[in-house]
Amino acid sequence: VSSPVVGFAGMTHLGLVSGVCAAEKGFRVVCYDPAAARIAALRKGELPVSEPQLGELVAKNARRLSFTADATDLAACDVVYIAPDVPTDDVGQSDLGPINALLEAVTAAARRDAVLVVLSQVPPGFTRSKQRPGGMLYYQVETLIFGRAVERALQPERYIVGCAEPSQPLPAAYSAFLEAHGCPILPMRYESAELAKISINMCLVASVSTANTLAELCEKIGADWSEIVPALKLDKRIGQHAYLAAGLGIAGGNLERDLATVCRLADELGTDAGVVRAWIANSRHRRDWALRTLHREVLSRKERPVIAVLGLAYKQDTHSTKNSPSLALLEQLHAFAVRLYDPLVPAAEARHPDARAANSALDACDGADALVIMTPWSEFRALNAAELARRLKGRTVIDPYALLDARAFRKAGLDYHTLGARS
Amino acid sequence: VIAHGSREPRSPERVVLLGARGFIARALRERLEAERINALALSSTELDLTRAESVAQLAARIERNDAVVMLAALTPDKGRDAGTLIQNLTMMRHVCAALEKARCEQLVYFSSDAVYDSGVSRVTEETPAAPRDLYGAMHRTREIMAASVPGVRLLVLRPTLVYGTHDTHDAYGPNRFRRAAAKDGKIALFGDGEEMRDHIHVDDVVRITHMCLEQQSTGVLNLATGRSISFRKVAELVALHFGERAEIVSLPRANVITHRHYDVTSLIKAFPGYRPIPIEEGIARCHREMVQAA
Repeated sequence: VSSPVVGFAGMTHLGLVSGVCAAEKGFRVVCYDPAAARIAALRKGELPVSEPQLGELVAKNARRLSFTADATDLAACDVVYIAPDVPTDDVGQSDLGPINALLEAVTAAARRDAVLVVLSQVPPGFTRSKQRPGGMLYYQVETLIFGRAVERALQPERYIVGCAEPSQPLPAAYSAFLEAHGCPILPMRYESAELAKISINMCLVASVSTANTLAELCEKIGADWSEIVPALKLDKRIGQHAYLAAGLGIAGGNLERDLATVCRLADELGTDAGVVRAWIANSRHRRDWALRTLHREVLSRKERPVIAVLGLAYKQDTHSTKNSPSLALLEQLHAFAVRLYDPLVPAAEARHPDARAANSALDACDGADALVIMTPWSEFRALNAAELARRLKGRTVIDPYALLDARAFRKAGLDYHTLGARS
Repeated sequence: VIAHGSREPRSPERVVLLGARGFIARALRERLEAERINALALSSTELDLTRAESVAQLAARIERNDAVVMLAALTPDKGRDAGTLIQNLTMMRHVCAALEKARCEQLVYFSSDAVYDSGVSRVTEETPAAPRDLYGAMHRTREIMAASVPGVRLLVLRPTLVYGTHDTHDAYGPNRFRRAAAKDGKIALFGDGEEMRDHIHVDDVVRITHMCLEQQSTGVLNLATGRSISFRKVAELVALHFGERAEIVSLPRANVITHRHYDVTSLIKAFPGYRPIPIEEGIARCHREMVQAA
């Protein structure tokens, strides 16, 4: 089989990263999006998302990548991925309108012998409902992680492929593309693959919720969750890569989407989703940890405090603020003056009535009564305890993700608070 | 889980207090007077809500811009039986009927944490209301009755255990311990007093209520401090003020140990500057006031 031409429709996070990484693997790639402005920006090298290595890979593979707003260009493709980001609302419900429209446009423009692959996160039953007579339609699980999207796309752990008929071999062009990545390929029926994606996320949420539940206990009884985690990871049933870092609940949108989907399906079908609802409740509870700590230590004690907040993105190495704990905290701090700094996200995104955008982390801390680090950007790790003690007016440092050296900060006379350990 | 109808605090034109002779109502009235807010305080002497004619009497006294605070209830010390339940529901029926005749700006219903299952140890406003006794069922039913009044802007407040110098009840906790220590020199605990509870000073209750009135808040809010301590610790804090004159003794335990903690995140979100009176300070304040009164 000659090297297939691969198309990606939907040039938001998932489609763009997947397309660029396919080019890096040596395939000719057509990147399509109906939004002409978005394509024009991409042609100029302006990327709508930030991911480590992404910009370099776009430049490096420019010869193999073409960006187009003309759907008929997809006729050159042997395989076309439908890969727009599927937006969710505040309760995690997907808006399938855009992917439906895109799928229709792609189906009309692609060759009849082209393989169409839905890569976006869709609810069980979606792919089967889109089958076309004589067409080849597949669903492929994506496991994009914000901030590690390129790495994951170039070195996938496995491919989970939803098929109308899993006993049949995959089409040659599709197979050739997948095999180029050198990982296991697991064909299964559509519904299994769609639910596999959700199952992966449920396992992750279970780990995170366990970590958060026990980290909170640690804070009360004087244990330290960071001492317990290595012991857990040496247990083969748990594993080295388990999601055991204590955090501020579940954010980002994708996990919440799957939680909402499982609850909706369970309600419709009469199965038990009590534990899933408990995870959701626990996530909400932990999201407010920083607010509770800040209230206890500063807001309830000091008149008109000034709060420095470092980090606005929902996690490090991303510009995304979807369900960001930082923005959730700032929404509750409208009565107080805040100073904001994030390496990527502008302070204006916080929509805070009394915010000052700082030029750097240290600038934000100057004269503040408390420091709260809400996104674990690695540059914050370099903050020096003595320097901060000098710049801060107050003594409170809230560092949920334990980026800073607790001992050094306490030695510098600061009141240091982190998740999973007693203050 | 409350929403403020008014972003900026503004005093209500008038507050109508129903059940005005009670412990919380008296403290609230004092607060309103201190804030120069016009208050109409109605106790059972002026208005017997168990009687049918109270509907017309109350409707005649309510004005369109009033905030009505419903504190009238027969508390458990007056009875925990079905008869008490029916009387309490009758009172609420009459209040609701009056509010259907004469609209008001806001209705504040003082409920209780008894609406929650007593076996639930951690409580938020999202904890399902599942009362185990008639007293809790009474408050839950009255909450629903209040919510069914057409067009009412309803705030439901669910206080935890309230204490203060002028508490007329003798419930197990700081008030009873203080009186027992003063009278008998002895504080009796069930078992070793291991149960964890959240005790809120009445001044905090009225302060939050006042803020809710100023901001025309609606929804459901638990009134608690967010800090639970054992009855043993409460007894020790009380005994501290009596020196060697108060002894803590144990009585056989009649019930299994249960704990109750409040997650007060909603309260913090509603009033970010909220600072509850620490129980150490609250008990010391009660003791000082008791000594002064004596």
